[in-house]
Amino acid sequence: MSENTTVIERAVTTTDPALLSRYWIGAAGLGLFLSIGVGFLAALERLDLSTASIFDGADVIFQLWSAHRVGLVLLAVLPLILGLATAVVPRQVGASSLVFPRMAAAGFWVWLFGAAITVTGFAVDGGVGAPGATSQTQAVAITLVGIMMVLLGIGATTICVLTTVVAGRSSGMSLGDVPAFSWSMLVAGTMWMLTLPVLMGNLLLVYVDLRGRSAVRFGAEEAIWEQLSWAFTNPQVYLWALPLLGIVADIIPVSVKAKLNTNRMFGAICLLGFVGFGAYAQTYFDLGTPVRQEAFSVVAAFVAVLAMLMALGALAGSLRNGAKETDASSATPLVLAMLSLLLLLVGTVVGALNAVESLDLAGTSAIGAQMIFTLAAMLVGMVAGLSWWGDLVAGRATPQRPLLITGLLLTLGLGLVGVADLINGFNGLNDFTGAVLSEAGNSGSAVDTLNLIVVIGLGMALVGALNGMISGCQHLRSSEPAVANPWGGTTLEWSDNEGSA
Amino acid sequence: MITTAPVAPANRPRTLMVGTMFATSAALMFFGGLFSIYLSVRSDTLAWGAEWFPEGAISLLPGGMNMATMALSAVTMAWAVYSILNNDRVHAYLAILVTGILGVAVINQTAFYFMDIAIPVDYNEAAVLFYVIIGAHLVMVGLGVFWLGLLLLRTLGGQDTAQHRDLVSSAALYWYATVAVYSFIWLFIYIGK
Repeated sequence: MSENTTVIERAVTTTDPALLSRYWIGAAGLGLFLSIGVGFLAALERLDLSTASIFDGADVIFQLWSAHRVGLVLLAVLPLILGLATAVVPRQVGASSLVFPRMAAAGFWVWLFGAAITVTGFAVDGGVGAPGATSQTQAVAITLVGIMMVLLGIGATTICVLTTVVAGRSSGMSLGDVPAFSWSMLVAGTMWMLTLPVLMGNLLLVYVDLRGRSAVRFGAEEAIWEQLSWAFTNPQVYLWALPLLGIVADIIPVSVKAKLNTNRMFGAICLLGFVGFGAYAQTYFDLGTPVRQEAFSVVAAFVAVLAMLMALGALAGSLRNGAKETDASSATPLVLAMLSLLLLLVGTVVGALNAVESLDLAGTSAIGAQMIFTLAAMLVGMVAGLSWWGDLVAGRATPQRPLLITGLLLTLGLGLVGVADLINGFNGLNDFTGAVLSEAGNSGSAVDTLNLIVVIGLGMALVGALNGMISGCQHLRSSEPAVANPWGGTTLEWSDNEGSA
Repeated sequence: MITTAPVAPANRPRTLMVGTMFATSAALMFFGGLFSIYLSVRSDTLAWGAEWFPEGAISLLPGGMNMATMALSAVTMAWAVYSILNNDRVHAYLAILVTGILGVAVINQTAFYFMDIAIPVDYNEAAVLFYVIIGAHLVMVGLGVFWLGLLLLRTLGGQDTAQHRDLVSSAALYWYATVAVYSFIWLFIYIGK
């Protein structure tokens, strides 16, 4: 590039994977903060639903509630994963960069503009419809366009990551030799490419029906969330957390200096990816009983637990064989990896409980609890991943303590939210605070107390996200050089780093 | 111990083909989702005894014409791939050009049918699905024609040969998927109504 180009020109036209990775992670950090923030506001309002005293009625509560879910998945978790993958996957497979680097850069910018439009849509009384249908149709349409752009950006970058793993590998490296994180990205990315287009189809249908005339069915505001909700609940939510297994499978064996049973681990990743396919769980496909209560859905919910146990079994073998030689310097990624696994295990167990019809948890806040546990697992896993590969991403030594604090705050905060929502689910609190506030849930004292715990939990997670953003900025301004191979890793990304350090 | 890169084998996967396979799979899932919704909603509507498309509203003629055009374009696309494989540039120009023209013809016929059909988009659920599915396919064909245009320019510049045929193979894969999607449109919407 010419030396006469401005900083902005260089920033906008870069195809450097490390820089793009930082863009993704930085923007996703902001998305995480905003998503948890709106969740916090919605939880505050839920403390006293009888009056809806903070915001102007049920519509606003619904917009905040749905923004929390959409934002967590599409503006925080997925972009964070793609940010890490953009920097790490090419190095792990021995490629100099992502395949189709311009497309990867375009993917980020489309996502960023889409995210901005989505946030604007929610902010101007839009969102994904509202049960009271008093939100502005134009604003809802803007939000839908924003989400579609977000999906396009995520899809474009995912194709680059997938193609890098499949066709950009170092010559002679078979798919079986690919490190666990890249393998998990291959499985997760493939499943994303099979499900995100279905969500795009749903959105397009809603958009066309909504625009410029009275909606026939798909664009009716009270029905929009129902059509999109499959992407934010069981089993699809497992696909958003799938790369976590790859991250921990790269961290744990190296930390404890023991081999991993890769066949079992890769099998668990494939199994969880398979049962996580959730595009069928739409109300359109209900056959008398809701599709989520059909036998195969129930079986899939329990198979997810089995997949997790399989993964834990593989990792437990490494821990058992190598525990005596654990390197204390890798305590932060190791602890966070363990915590994220625990959260994901709890998430799958809650998912299985939700599938048991006799427990009557369908439609209760236990559904939200499962989503929170699963996404919290991925977020904590991402912090573990940044702690592990931070030197590669930032090109500077990664301070571990702020990441540990961020990870612990997210674990504790979102864990509290999940536990409180789960118990509230058993108490009959509805997952969704609907148009009629009196139907929003049981207003018993136990529920009120647990709702207070949800507020506290989200407050802690908010502080954790803020701490992560601040420490990330400090990390990028630090002048301490990156350590070539801080953990004694044996995969290709570390040999690249040694070469460049 | 640091792992070093192993020795290179002779053949490596073709990146553009792999990328196109992922993108085309995504496009097929997009239409798969929409078709599933179409069939499900149609089945529910008919089970309740309600009207799906008004009697006589969907004519088989434009759908059939488009299907024939698309099928022919699949043949010409295969002709283009065959020509490139045999380094037959004249036939390759001709085949790519004809495929592109057939794509434009599909766009033209569909656009005319959209103008001609007497069902507004807000008529009922069937109308919304009709316009969304066929409109989305129209965009898919448009992208394909654009890609064929680029391909033609590259071929004219002598950049596509039997050794460097990735762009032609990838465009062909995408085009076949476009034809496959239209065959479902023809079957489910124009014939099945």
